[in-house]
Amino acid sequence: MRRTILFVIGGLLVGGIIHVAIVFLVPYYAGKDAYSSIARFGNDGQFHLLPMAEAGAETMPGMDPHFMEAVCRFDLHNGPIRVLAAMPDEFWSVAVFDKLSRNVYSLTDRAVDGSNLDLALLTSVQNAQIRQNPPDSLNTAIVLELPIDAGFLVLRALVPDDSLMPAVTAALAAARCSASL
Amino acid sequence: MRFLIDLVIAVAVAVVVGVGSAWYAVGQGHLFGAVTVGDWTAWPNDGTLDADPYALARIARSGEVPLGAGEGLVFAAADDDSGAPLTSRCTYTIAGETPAARLWTLTATDSDGRLMPNLAHRQGFHSREIVRAANGDFAITASRSVQPGNWLPVGDAERFDLVFRLYDTPLATGSQLSTLSMPTIRKAHCP
Repeated sequence: MRRTILFVIGGLLVGGIIHVAIVFLVPYYAGKDAYSSIARFGNDGQFHLLPMAEAGAETMPGMDPHFMEAVCRFDLHNGPIRVLAAMPDEFWSVAVFDKLSRNVYSLTDRAVDGSNLDLALLTSVQNAQIRQNPPDSLNTAIVLELPIDAGFLVLRALVPDDSLMPAVTAALAAARCSASL
Repeated sequence: MRFLIDLVIAVAVAVVVGVGSAWYAVGQGHLFGAVTVGDWTAWPNDGTLDADPYALARIARSGEVPLGAGEGLVFAAADDDSGAPLTSRCTYTIAGETPAARLWTLTATDSDGRLMPNLAHRQGFHSREIVRAANGDFAITASRSVQPGNWLPVGDAERFDLVFRLYDTPLATGSQLSTLSMPTIRKAHCP
Protein backbone atom coordinates (compact mmCIF):
# COMPACT_ATOMS: atom_id res chain seq x y z
CA MET A 1 0.00 0.00 0.00
CA ARG A 2 2.71 2.41 1.00
CA ARG A 3 4.58 1.61 -2.20
CA THR A 4 1.49 2.38 -4.28
CA ILE A 5 1.20 5.79 -2.59
CA LEU A 6 4.84 6.47 -3.46
CA PHE A 7 4.13 5.61 -7.09
CA VAL A 8 1.10 7.93 -7.11
CA ILE A 9 3.23 10.77 -5.70
CA GLY A 10 5.83 10.05 -8.35
CA GLY A 11 3.08 10.13 -10.97
CA LEU A 12 1.95 13.54 -9.72
CA LEU A 13 5.48 14.92 -9.98
CA VAL A 14 5.88 13.64 -13.53
CA GLY A 15 2.40 15.04 -14.27
CA GLY A 16 3.66 18.46 -13.20
CA ILE A 17 6.59 18.19 -15.60
CA ILE A 18 4.23 17.15 -18.42
CA HIS A 19 2.03 20.15 -17.60
CA VAL A 20 4.92 22.61 -17.86
CA ALA A 21 6.23 20.98 -21.03
CA ILE A 22 2.85 21.13 -22.78
CA VAL A 23 2.20 24.76 -21.82
CA PHE A 24 5.59 25.86 -23.13
CA LEU A 25 5.37 23.83 -26.33
CA VAL A 26 1.82 24.78 -27.36
CA PRO A 27 2.80 28.15 -28.95
CA TYR A 28 5.33 26.41 -31.21
CA TYR A 29 3.03 23.61 -32.36
CA ALA A 30 -0.40 25.24 -32.27
CA GLY A 31 -0.72 25.40 -36.07
CA LYS A 32 -3.71 27.72 -35.84
CA ASP A 33 -1.75 30.65 -34.41
CA ALA A 34 -1.80 34.00 -36.21
CA TYR A 35 1.66 33.69 -37.77
CA SER A 36 0.86 30.28 -39.27
CA SER A 37 -2.62 31.23 -40.44
CA ILE A 38 -1.40 34.32 -42.28
CA ALA A 39 0.63 32.01 -44.54
CA ARG A 40 -2.69 30.68 -45.83
CA PHE A 41 -3.56 34.06 -47.33
CA GLY A 42 -0.59 34.16 -49.68
CA ASN A 43 3.09 34.98 -50.00
CA ASP A 44 5.22 36.48 -47.29
CA GLY A 45 6.38 40.05 -47.81
CA GLN A 46 3.07 41.44 -48.99
CA PHE A 47 -0.04 42.70 -47.27
CA HIS A 48 -3.12 40.53 -47.48
CA LEU A 49 -6.42 42.29 -47.11
CA LEU A 50 -8.80 40.56 -44.73
CA PRO A 51 -12.51 40.94 -45.39
CA MET A 52 -14.37 42.75 -42.63
CA ALA A 53 -15.40 40.39 -39.85
CA GLU A 54 -18.99 39.25 -40.10
CA ALA A 55 -20.93 36.68 -38.16
CA GLY A 56 -19.95 33.23 -39.37
CA ALA A 57 -17.23 34.67 -41.65
CA GLU A 58 -14.41 35.84 -39.46
CA THR A 59 -11.10 35.50 -41.25
CA MET A 60 -9.18 35.69 -38.00
CA PRO A 61 -10.75 35.30 -34.56
CA GLY A 62 -11.22 38.32 -32.32
CA MET A 63 -11.21 40.94 -35.07
CA ASP A 64 -13.03 44.17 -34.38
CA PRO A 65 -15.92 44.19 -36.90
CA HIS A 66 -15.58 47.96 -37.29
CA PHE A 67 -12.09 47.64 -38.71
CA MET A 68 -10.60 46.46 -41.95
CA GLU A 69 -7.26 44.77 -41.51
CA ALA A 70 -4.31 43.84 -43.67
CA VAL A 71 -1.64 41.41 -42.49
CA CYS A 72 1.85 40.66 -43.74
CA ARG A 73 4.60 38.26 -42.71
CA PHE A 74 8.03 39.83 -42.91
CA ASP A 75 11.56 38.51 -42.73
CA LEU A 76 14.64 40.65 -42.18
CA HIS A 77 17.19 37.94 -43.03
CA ASN A 78 17.57 39.33 -46.54
CA GLY A 79 17.99 42.90 -45.39
CA PRO A 80 15.90 45.68 -43.87
CA ILE A 81 12.44 46.41 -45.26
CA ARG A 82 10.31 49.48 -45.61
CA VAL A 83 6.55 49.56 -45.08
CA LEU A 84 4.67 52.15 -47.09
CA ALA A 85 0.98 52.99 -47.09
CA ALA A 86 -1.13 56.01 -47.97
CA MET A 87 -3.78 55.67 -45.32
CA PRO A 88 -7.22 57.24 -45.08
CA ASP A 89 -7.85 60.21 -42.78
CA GLU A 90 -9.81 58.09 -40.36
CA PHE A 91 -8.30 56.32 -37.40
CA TRP A 92 -5.76 53.65 -38.27
CA SER A 93 -2.98 51.80 -36.48
CA VAL A 94 -0.12 49.48 -37.25
CA ALA A 95 1.42 46.83 -35.02
CA VAL A 96 4.48 44.58 -35.31
CA PHE A 97 4.31 41.11 -33.74
CA ASP A 98 6.82 38.33 -33.26
CA LYS A 99 6.00 34.76 -34.31
CA LEU A 100 4.29 34.07 -30.97
CA SER A 101 1.87 37.01 -31.48
CA ARG A 102 3.67 39.16 -28.93
CA ASN A 103 3.50 42.81 -29.81
CA VAL A 104 6.92 44.42 -30.16
CA TYR A 105 5.84 47.78 -31.56
CA SER A 106 2.65 49.66 -32.37
CA LEU A 107 1.53 53.13 -33.28
CA THR A 108 -1.58 54.97 -34.38
CA ASP A 109 -2.09 57.58 -37.07
CA ARG A 110 -1.48 60.32 -34.51
CA ALA A 111 2.18 59.38 -34.32
CA VAL A 112 2.84 60.31 -37.95
CA ASP A 113 2.63 63.54 -39.91
CA GLY A 114 -0.26 63.51 -42.32
CA SER A 115 -1.62 60.11 -43.13
CA ASN A 116 1.32 58.42 -44.83
CA LEU A 117 2.74 55.41 -43.11
CA ASP A 118 6.46 55.03 -43.67
CA LEU A 119 8.26 52.51 -41.48
CA ALA A 120 11.77 51.12 -41.78
CA LEU A 121 12.19 47.75 -40.08
CA LEU A 122 15.73 46.70 -39.20
CA THR A 123 17.56 44.46 -36.80
CA SER A 124 20.08 46.14 -34.52
CA VAL A 125 22.98 44.88 -36.64
CA GLN A 126 21.40 46.22 -39.83
CA ASN A 127 20.70 49.51 -38.10
CA ALA A 128 24.34 49.87 -37.04
CA GLN A 129 25.52 49.07 -40.59
CA ILE A 130 23.12 51.40 -42.34
CA ARG A 131 23.99 54.31 -40.06
CA GLN A 132 27.43 54.46 -41.63
CA ASN A 133 25.97 55.41 -44.97
CA PRO A 134 22.31 56.23 -44.41
CA PRO A 135 20.03 56.32 -47.48
CA ASP A 136 17.75 59.34 -47.90
CA SER A 137 14.68 57.28 -47.14
CA LEU A 138 15.80 56.98 -43.54
CA ASN A 139 15.19 60.68 -43.02
CA THR A 140 11.48 60.38 -43.66
CA ALA A 141 10.80 56.90 -42.31
CA ILE A 142 10.08 55.97 -38.72
CA VAL A 143 13.00 53.67 -37.96
CA LEU A 144 12.18 50.60 -35.90
CA GLU A 145 15.12 48.64 -34.58
CA LEU A 146 13.45 45.32 -33.83
CA PRO A 147 14.56 42.64 -31.37
CA ILE A 148 13.26 40.00 -33.84
CA ASP A 149 14.19 39.10 -37.41
CA ALA A 150 10.85 37.70 -38.52
CA GLY A 151 7.24 38.19 -37.57
CA PHE A 152 4.12 39.83 -38.90
CA LEU A 153 2.56 43.24 -39.29
CA VAL A 154 -1.07 44.16 -38.82
CA LEU A 155 -2.51 47.29 -40.37
CA ARG A 156 -5.94 48.21 -39.01
CA ALA A 157 -8.17 50.96 -40.36
CA LEU A 158 -11.50 52.09 -39.00
CA VAL A 159 -14.41 51.91 -41.43
CA PRO A 160 -16.77 54.46 -39.84
CA ASP A 161 -19.58 53.64 -42.24
CA ASP A 162 -20.09 51.66 -45.41
CA SER A 163 -19.64 54.68 -47.69
CA LEU A 164 -15.95 54.85 -46.73
CA MET A 165 -15.36 51.17 -47.42
CA PRO A 166 -13.99 51.66 -50.96
CA ALA A 167 -11.45 54.28 -49.83
CA VAL A 168 -10.21 52.15 -46.93
CA THR A 169 -10.08 49.04 -49.10
CA ALA A 170 -8.05 50.85 -51.75
CA ALA A 171 -5.63 52.25 -49.18
CA LEU A 172 -4.99 48.90 -47.52
CA ALA A 173 -4.81 47.03 -50.82
CA ALA A 174 -2.09 49.40 -52.04
CA ALA A 175 0.01 49.12 -48.87
CA ARG A 176 3.51 47.77 -49.46
CA CYS A 177 5.11 45.52 -46.92
CA SER A 178 8.60 44.88 -48.22
CA ALA A 179 9.80 47.88 -50.18
CA SER A 180 13.55 48.46 -50.11
CA LEU A 181 15.14 51.25 -48.14
CA MET B 1 3.30 -8.07 -10.80
CA ARG B 2 2.68 -5.61 -7.97
CA PHE B 3 5.41 -3.46 -9.43
CA LEU B 4 3.82 -3.45 -12.87
CA ILE B 5 0.41 -2.45 -11.47
CA ASP B 6 2.01 0.37 -9.46
CA LEU B 7 3.89 1.55 -12.52
CA VAL B 8 0.71 1.60 -14.59
CA ILE B 9 -1.01 3.62 -11.85
CA ALA B 10 1.90 6.09 -11.73
CA VAL B 11 1.93 6.56 -15.50
CA ALA B 12 -1.84 6.97 -15.59
CA VAL B 13 -1.72 9.59 -12.83
CA ALA B 14 1.09 11.46 -14.60
CA VAL B 15 -0.69 11.55 -17.96
CA VAL B 16 -4.13 12.42 -16.60
CA VAL B 17 -2.84 15.11 -14.22
CA GLY B 18 -0.29 16.56 -16.65
CA VAL B 19 -2.38 16.63 -19.81
CA GLY B 20 -5.64 17.42 -18.03
CA SER B 21 -4.31 20.36 -16.05
CA ALA B 22 -2.40 21.73 -19.04
CA TRP B 23 -5.50 21.44 -21.23
CA TYR B 24 -7.60 23.24 -18.64
CA ALA B 25 -5.04 25.96 -17.93
CA VAL B 26 -4.41 26.69 -21.61
CA GLY B 27 -8.14 26.64 -22.37
CA GLN B 28 -8.61 29.16 -19.58
CA GLY B 29 -5.48 31.09 -20.48
CA HIS B 30 -6.64 34.00 -18.39
CA LEU B 31 -4.97 32.91 -15.17
CA PHE B 32 -2.86 35.96 -14.40
CA GLY B 33 -2.79 39.69 -14.92
CA ALA B 34 -6.52 40.46 -14.95
CA VAL B 35 -7.49 44.07 -14.25
CA THR B 36 -11.12 44.47 -13.26
CA VAL B 37 -12.86 47.82 -13.62
CA GLY B 38 -16.52 47.79 -12.67
CA ASP B 39 -18.23 45.14 -14.79
CA TRP B 40 -15.26 44.86 -17.17
CA THR B 41 -12.01 42.93 -17.20
CA ALA B 42 -8.88 43.58 -19.23
CA TRP B 43 -5.66 41.57 -19.58
CA PRO B 44 -3.17 44.30 -20.50
CA ASN B 45 -0.20 41.93 -20.47
CA ASP B 46 -1.70 39.54 -23.03
CA GLY B 47 0.08 39.90 -26.31
CA THR B 48 3.03 41.81 -24.87
CA LEU B 49 6.58 40.60 -24.36
CA ASP B 50 5.65 40.16 -20.67
CA ALA B 51 2.80 37.75 -21.41
CA ASP B 52 2.80 34.65 -19.20
CA PRO B 53 3.15 31.19 -20.79
CA TYR B 54 -0.55 30.42 -20.32
CA ALA B 55 -1.61 33.58 -22.13
CA LEU B 56 0.87 32.82 -24.94
CA ALA B 57 -0.49 29.30 -25.30
CA ARG B 58 -4.11 30.48 -25.29
CA ILE B 59 -3.45 33.13 -27.95
CA ALA B 60 -1.50 30.63 -30.08
CA ARG B 61 -4.39 28.17 -29.94
CA SER B 62 -7.09 30.72 -30.66
CA GLY B 63 -5.16 32.43 -33.47
CA GLU B 64 -6.26 35.89 -32.42
CA VAL B 65 -4.10 38.96 -32.90
CA PRO B 66 -4.01 41.06 -29.74
CA LEU B 67 -4.05 44.87 -29.80
CA GLY B 68 -0.63 46.42 -29.38
CA ALA B 69 -0.04 48.60 -26.34
CA GLY B 70 0.23 51.69 -28.54
CA GLU B 71 -3.02 50.87 -30.34
CA GLY B 72 -5.41 50.40 -27.49
CA LEU B 73 -6.85 48.21 -24.80
CA VAL B 74 -9.59 45.57 -24.83
CA PHE B 75 -12.10 45.08 -22.02
CA ALA B 76 -14.55 42.20 -21.87
CA ALA B 77 -17.65 41.57 -19.78
CA ALA B 78 -19.53 38.31 -19.33
CA ASP B 79 -21.69 39.45 -16.40
CA ASP B 80 -23.98 42.38 -15.66
CA ASP B 81 -23.53 44.73 -12.69
CA SER B 82 -25.34 42.31 -10.35
CA GLY B 83 -22.89 39.56 -11.28
CA ALA B 84 -25.43 37.53 -13.26
CA PRO B 85 -24.20 36.17 -16.60
CA LEU B 86 -25.33 38.05 -19.72
CA THR B 87 -28.03 36.11 -21.49
CA SER B 88 -29.89 36.90 -24.71
CA ARG B 89 -33.17 36.23 -22.91
CA CYS B 90 -32.81 39.59 -21.10
CA THR B 91 -32.42 43.20 -22.21
CA TYR B 92 -29.50 45.27 -20.91
CA THR B 93 -28.67 48.95 -20.85
CA ILE B 94 -25.03 49.98 -21.22
CA ALA B 95 -24.55 53.57 -20.11
CA GLY B 96 -22.22 55.81 -18.21
CA GLU B 97 -18.81 57.35 -18.64
CA THR B 98 -16.15 56.07 -20.98
CA PRO B 99 -12.41 56.48 -20.32
CA ALA B 100 -10.30 58.90 -22.32
CA ALA B 101 -9.77 57.47 -25.80
CA ARG B 102 -9.90 58.80 -29.30
CA LEU B 103 -12.22 56.06 -30.37
CA TRP B 104 -14.02 53.17 -28.77
CA THR B 105 -16.06 50.27 -30.09
CA LEU B 106 -18.56 48.03 -28.35
CA THR B 107 -19.16 44.57 -29.83
CA ALA B 108 -21.37 41.68 -28.80
CA THR B 109 -19.98 38.16 -29.24
CA ASP B 110 -21.02 34.72 -28.12
CA SER B 111 -19.17 33.23 -25.16
CA ASP B 112 -16.49 31.82 -27.50
CA GLY B 113 -15.72 35.30 -28.84
CA ARG B 114 -17.44 34.78 -32.20
CA LEU B 115 -19.76 37.32 -33.75
CA MET B 116 -23.43 36.43 -33.65
CA PRO B 117 -25.65 36.49 -36.75
CA ASN B 118 -28.62 38.83 -36.49
CA LEU B 119 -31.18 40.27 -38.86
CA ALA B 120 -30.02 43.86 -38.40
CA HIS B 121 -26.47 42.96 -39.54
CA ARG B 122 -25.08 45.04 -36.72
CA GLN B 123 -22.25 43.65 -34.60
CA GLY B 124 -21.65 46.70 -32.45
CA PHE B 125 -21.19 50.43 -32.22
CA HIS B 126 -18.28 52.78 -32.45
CA SER B 127 -18.13 56.02 -30.53
CA ARG B 128 -18.72 58.26 -33.53
CA GLU B 129 -21.90 56.70 -34.84
CA ILE B 130 -23.70 56.50 -31.56
CA VAL B 131 -26.83 58.57 -30.92
CA ARG B 132 -26.24 60.79 -27.89
CA ALA B 133 -28.42 62.95 -25.69
CA ALA B 134 -27.92 66.73 -25.85
CA ASN B 135 -25.48 66.61 -22.92
CA GLY B 136 -23.34 63.95 -24.58
CA ASP B 137 -24.58 61.01 -22.54
CA PHE B 138 -25.38 57.81 -24.34
CA ALA B 139 -27.19 54.57 -23.67
CA ILE B 140 -26.90 51.36 -25.67
CA THR B 141 -29.60 48.74 -25.40
CA ALA B 142 -28.44 45.16 -25.88
CA SER B 143 -31.39 42.97 -26.71
CA ARG B 144 -32.55 40.19 -28.96
CA SER B 145 -35.59 42.20 -30.07
CA VAL B 146 -35.71 45.55 -31.85
CA GLN B 147 -35.19 48.56 -29.54
CA PRO B 148 -35.37 52.32 -30.07
CA GLY B 149 -32.15 54.35 -29.97
CA ASN B 150 -28.82 52.55 -29.99
CA TRP B 151 -29.90 48.96 -30.39
CA LEU B 152 -27.21 46.31 -30.13
CA PRO B 153 -28.66 43.01 -31.35
CA VAL B 154 -27.32 40.00 -29.46
CA GLY B 155 -28.41 37.01 -31.52
CA ASP B 156 -29.77 33.84 -30.01
CA ALA B 157 -26.84 32.59 -27.94
CA GLU B 158 -27.78 31.63 -24.41
CA ARG B 159 -24.73 33.44 -23.03
CA PHE B 160 -23.05 36.39 -24.66
CA ASP B 161 -20.08 38.65 -23.97
CA LEU B 162 -19.57 42.34 -24.51
CA VAL B 163 -16.21 43.54 -25.81
CA PHE B 164 -15.24 47.16 -25.27
CA ARG B 165 -12.18 48.29 -27.24
CA LEU B 166 -10.49 51.59 -26.48
CA TYR B 167 -8.26 52.92 -29.26
CA ASP B 168 -5.48 55.42 -28.84
CA THR B 169 -5.89 55.68 -25.11
CA PRO B 170 -3.26 56.79 -22.58
CA LEU B 171 -4.36 53.83 -20.45
CA ALA B 172 -2.81 51.23 -22.68
CA THR B 173 0.65 52.52 -21.87
CA GLY B 174 0.48 52.13 -18.12
CA SER B 175 -1.30 54.58 -15.77
CA GLN B 176 -3.79 53.49 -13.16
CA LEU B 177 -6.43 51.25 -14.64
CA SER B 178 -8.39 50.58 -11.48
CA THR B 179 -9.48 54.22 -11.04
CA LEU B 180 -11.18 54.27 -14.44
CA SER B 181 -14.83 54.93 -14.97
CA MET B 182 -16.34 52.45 -17.36
CA PRO B 183 -19.96 52.12 -18.52
CA THR B 184 -22.22 49.97 -16.39
CA ILE B 185 -24.16 47.01 -17.74
CA ARG B 186 -27.60 47.01 -16.11
CA LYS B 187 -30.37 44.51 -16.65
CA ALA B 188 -33.39 46.45 -17.96
CA HIS B 189 -35.90 43.65 -17.97
CA CYS B 190 -36.21 39.93 -18.29
CA PRO B 191 -39.31 38.20 -19.59
